[in-house]
Amino acid sequence: MNISKNWLDSYIDLSDLSTQEIADMLTFAGIEVEGLQERGVNTDLVVVAQVMQKTPVEGSDHLNVCMVDAGEGKLRQIVCGASNYKVGDKVPCALPGAILPGGWEIKEGKMMGQASCGMLCSASELGMPDKEHGLWILPQDYAIGTPVRQFTQTDTLFELEITPNRPDLLSHWGMARELAGISGRTLKQDPAPENADTVPAGDGIRLSAPEVCPLYTATRICGVKIAPSPEWLAQRLIAVGLRPINNVVDITNYCLFELGHPLHAFDAAKVQGPLNIRCAREGEQFTSLMDETYSLLPDDLVISDSTDNTLALAGVMGGKDSGVTDATTDIILESAWFLPSSVRRTSRRLGLGSDSSYRFERGASAWNVLRAAARAVQLILECCGGRAEPIAVAGQAPCLVSEQKAANATVLQQGSQAKVFCALQHVFLDWKELDVMTRGSVPHMEAARILKNLGLRESSAGEWDCPPWRLDLVRSCDLLEEIVRVYGISNIPSSCTSIYVPESRQDRAHDFRTELSRRLAGAGLCEVQTFKLIAEQSSNPSVAAFPYALPMKPLQEGDVIRVALPLSEDHSILRPSLSPGLLAVAARNLNQGAEVLRFFECGRIFRNTGGGKGKDIEAEVLGILIAGKLAPANWAQLKQPSAAPEHLLALLELAAPKASISLSPCKQNREAAALAADIHINGQNCGFFAKVAPAICRTLGIPTDCYYAELDLRKLQQIATAPFKVKDLPLYPGSGRDASIEAPASLHHADVLKAIESAKQKLLVSCHLKEVFRDSSGQKLSADRKAMTYSFLYRDSAKTLTATEVDAAHSSVLQAISRKLPDTKMR
Amino acid sequence: MMKEEIANVKATALKDIAGADNMKRLEEVRVSTLGKKGTLTRVQQGMRDVPASEKPAVGALLNEARNTISAALDERMRELQRRLDEQSVAGIDLTLPAATLPGGGLHPISLVREEAVRILRRMGFCLADGPEIEDEWHCFDALNTPEDHPARNEKDTFYFDSGKLLRTQTSTVQARVMESQAPPVRIICPGSAFRRDAIDATHLSAFNQIEGLYVDREVSVCDLKGTLEYFLKALFGDETAVRFRPHFFPFTEPSFEIDVQLQAAGQAPRWIEIAGCGMVNPAVFENIDKKTGKQLYTGCTGFAFGIGLERLAMIRWGIRDIRLLIENDVRFLAQFQ
Repeated sequence: MNISKNWLDSYIDLSDLSTQEIADMLTFAGIEVEGLQERGVNTDLVVVAQVMQKTPVEGSDHLNVCMVDAGEGKLRQIVCGASNYKVGDKVPCALPGAILPGGWEIKEGKMMGQASCGMLCSASELGMPDKEHGLWILPQDYAIGTPVRQFTQTDTLFELEITPNRPDLLSHWGMARELAGISGRTLKQDPAPENADTVPAGDGIRLSAPEVCPLYTATRICGVKIAPSPEWLAQRLIAVGLRPINNVVDITNYCLFELGHPLHAFDAAKVQGPLNIRCAREGEQFTSLMDETYSLLPDDLVISDSTDNTLALAGVMGGKDSGVTDATTDIILESAWFLPSSVRRTSRRLGLGSDSSYRFERGASAWNVLRAAARAVQLILECCGGRAEPIAVAGQAPCLVSEQKAANATVLQQGSQAKVFCALQHVFLDWKELDVMTRGSVPHMEAARILKNLGLRESSAGEWDCPPWRLDLVRSCDLLEEIVRVYGISNIPSSCTSIYVPESRQDRAHDFRTELSRRLAGAGLCEVQTFKLIAEQSSNPSVAAFPYALPMKPLQEGDVIRVALPLSEDHSILRPSLSPGLLAVAARNLNQGAEVLRFFECGRIFRNTGGGKGKDIEAEVLGILIAGKLAPANWAQLKQPSAAPEHLLALLELAAPKASISLSPCKQNREAAALAADIHINGQNCGFFAKVAPAICRTLGIPTDCYYAELDLRKLQQIATAPFKVKDLPLYPGSGRDASIEAPASLHHADVLKAIESAKQKLLVSCHLKEVFRDSSGQKLSADRKAMTYSFLYRDSAKTLTATEVDAAHSSVLQAISRKLPDTKMR
Repeated sequence: MMKEEIANVKATALKDIAGADNMKRLEEVRVSTLGKKGTLTRVQQGMRDVPASEKPAVGALLNEARNTISAALDERMRELQRRLDEQSVAGIDLTLPAATLPGGGLHPISLVREEAVRILRRMGFCLADGPEIEDEWHCFDALNTPEDHPARNEKDTFYFDSGKLLRTQTSTVQARVMESQAPPVRIICPGSAFRRDAIDATHLSAFNQIEGLYVDREVSVCDLKGTLEYFLKALFGDETAVRFRPHFFPFTEPSFEIDVQLQAAGQAPRWIEIAGCGMVNPAVFENIDKKTGKQLYTGCTGFAFGIGLERLAMIRWGIRDIRLLIENDVRFLAQFQ
């Protein structure tokens, strides 16, 4: 909300404070200062000048070369782009050296080859409210050469963010009251008249929805003269960013910004018979004063008359045909209280907001209904003439005090013939609570003083009556907040007591995940964090899309969790796997020229267990993607190998170093995978391994093979963090033997291992694959054959083996291989 | 006779040793002199014929020759080795660029999250988590957000057809933890939250927060202040000025926003908003107790805080566009290695 310093000055004296001091005071009261604007001209270098000549600049459709008289004895040449002036007009002229609001310094220069020695200014360029489009045309009686600052008022505009619990601050009087309360200053005269002349509305107002609108007042004022507002009023509205319309409408707006209570004025000629405040009918049409038509629901509250025409959408906006125009002579002034949730619902559903709905939905004080009405009547009579009838009151202020408290509540009474009663909220505050919250650092006397300054009254020991405008003060913690806020948290000491709590399951998961991530990063993988919302389909390779999902468990229709109202098609479903994100990252980086694509992500995936009818489950997984080169090529290693399955396998072993990892091909085909295998760690199915389908790589522009693995982090943690004991080091040396096995190209390493195991050779400690040789030319080895060289290590834990013993053991192993794999031969 | 021969062999050997300019040549000299068929060995075999009376003198001469030659060989070998060692580093260009390892590293969000978690765990907080697909009760009702609050709207919050939603804040974990355990509670929860904000340079519809909650008997504003001052000074440096500004959140009262004073090079220090916090609103405790049917939290006090990790990363590293954090461009990520 915008607060004008000049306007504020009418209610509180802040002359001893600088702008910054006021801003700090607001900040530490919990009111965020989002912006500060100095309004008006602050320099003598902007003067009144008269345009003496105006010649179009050749080749430009809007520039003119002007010769202006700025009272310097000779004319000054200035190029100007505005079009709303003529020769003879007086306008503000900024001379070279002038610094305009926003720190903009005027210099001599050239435009389209023409010298320009200054600038002719619009009002907004001088930090003044803009009334016309273009230059600020000054009155002819202003003397040439006079500094414009002599005719303009300076002001400071505070752009404030008011938190939703403080609707009482949404006005100048409210803000002044707050500043007075927190600084202990005195307020000037309350602008609202002390007494309101009221009569019961009788049949004149029908409250058809009393739960939504329990209190409605209407004041008829006859014989008003509609005209532009007086200058002082227009200036104040312009200062806070409003456009003056006519005196009556301006006064309703003025009262809103002065007292915080929204008002509305109807043209009495357009209202037939009594007012009816009722719920709208299903599908009822309403055309607002902005000439937009809305279709209403029974949830919406409207003001209508005996013809059943909708005059206004209650608390939100007036209707097109019921408003005050230049032809209006009699008006009906509305001041009422509407249920915040009702106004909010209507305003949000229709996307129709106003200064009025903003205040009603945050909560207007019923106590302000008559105050605002009386103040507006006073101003209308003063500015527009006419005769006012007493304020017609229907209904009663809503009681916001709980039933059990209501019996003891202090009640304010307003109005002359028709009374409006306003029960004050009262709260019991035990100083012990304050002592606990602040460790006894706030003296009780000081706390009481703070509450009193804010308008609270101690009615009996510990029992506080809250002022009628503070709807947010209901419980003792609300009062504690006020005390701490005003006393200042900087005056409360800091302490750091700590307790020890047991380590949680999540602590251990976090430690595991952190260490795993560091290990993978150390192995040359780049950690990424991709968006959890992905696209259902996308033709953009850099967008993570569902068809690229490679989760552990294949997805059934309905397992995918869709957002009801996505922000964009690219973010419409929750990712069921990390692969779409990682593939999009690979595609994006390829586009940027990256050669090495090695990425991992630890994060949550989502799926429904029962085709949309089961539980939504969330699991933490690790996704690893490799493609492209293993490392960037460089002068020392010109050729880098391309990503291959064994590289990804090595990374899996890094994730679970002590475990045995094997891949077992999936029975079920997956469209996104050319090769698909379950990852077994210590025999447990922990993840999914895939060679990404070449078709996908082509779509994404990935020119090399691309491998992806996804592991369940919970299972991985269980296995990788299982306790273990060290093994004793062998006492006797082992002996190694190599063997090269020629086999059909289709033979799997796993089959060889199985054959070796079948030998049940107790002396065999380990064997590992040293080399796989193939010759596609068929010269050294037939192209459909391969030679696999294995190293075997033999050892006896009780003695040193002799060469004969080793040879015997080795030959038993080789025999087993030949027996089990007849199509092989030893080379 | 013998003496002369010894002298000759010695002289020839010493000359050959001095002339040997590589290890191979030197080895040949050694073999041809001291080897089984070497010149000195052959002379030595002549000892048989030396009269007994001369044996001690000739023997001494022989020994002296052998020792001298051996010493010369060793010396020459050391000299040649020294030359070889010198040659082995000749021409090495230490100004050549490095060979390249595949560059790996952690994501900046992981780095700030880990740092924040490390500091807070040092202060005795333990980790907690909760689902990201939440129900309205844990996301709003429990946290004292009124039924008609603007956030409870499908324009601001991602809802599912099931009526569930993507949590709008990690504060949901406060409710999750309190309904499942008795006080004291001292937890932190780093995690994702979602809001239906269009993505631009300063907004993401999915972002990361770290939430903290401490509930016990007689937890005070002093504890809130002390804890967060310690945390932020650990994060931004001991000298960092920290200030608390009153604010409003439905689930805390009083509520504060926290600013830290930071200075960019060549600029005046500025207060930067970094976190929200406050004393747990008693209504939250009442809601929990009402749900569980136990009176565990009535009479407790506590504080809670929340920090945006993207914001933290942006401030720390001067990241101007929040989208860099989700684009995962390696040219960006490599800067954090």
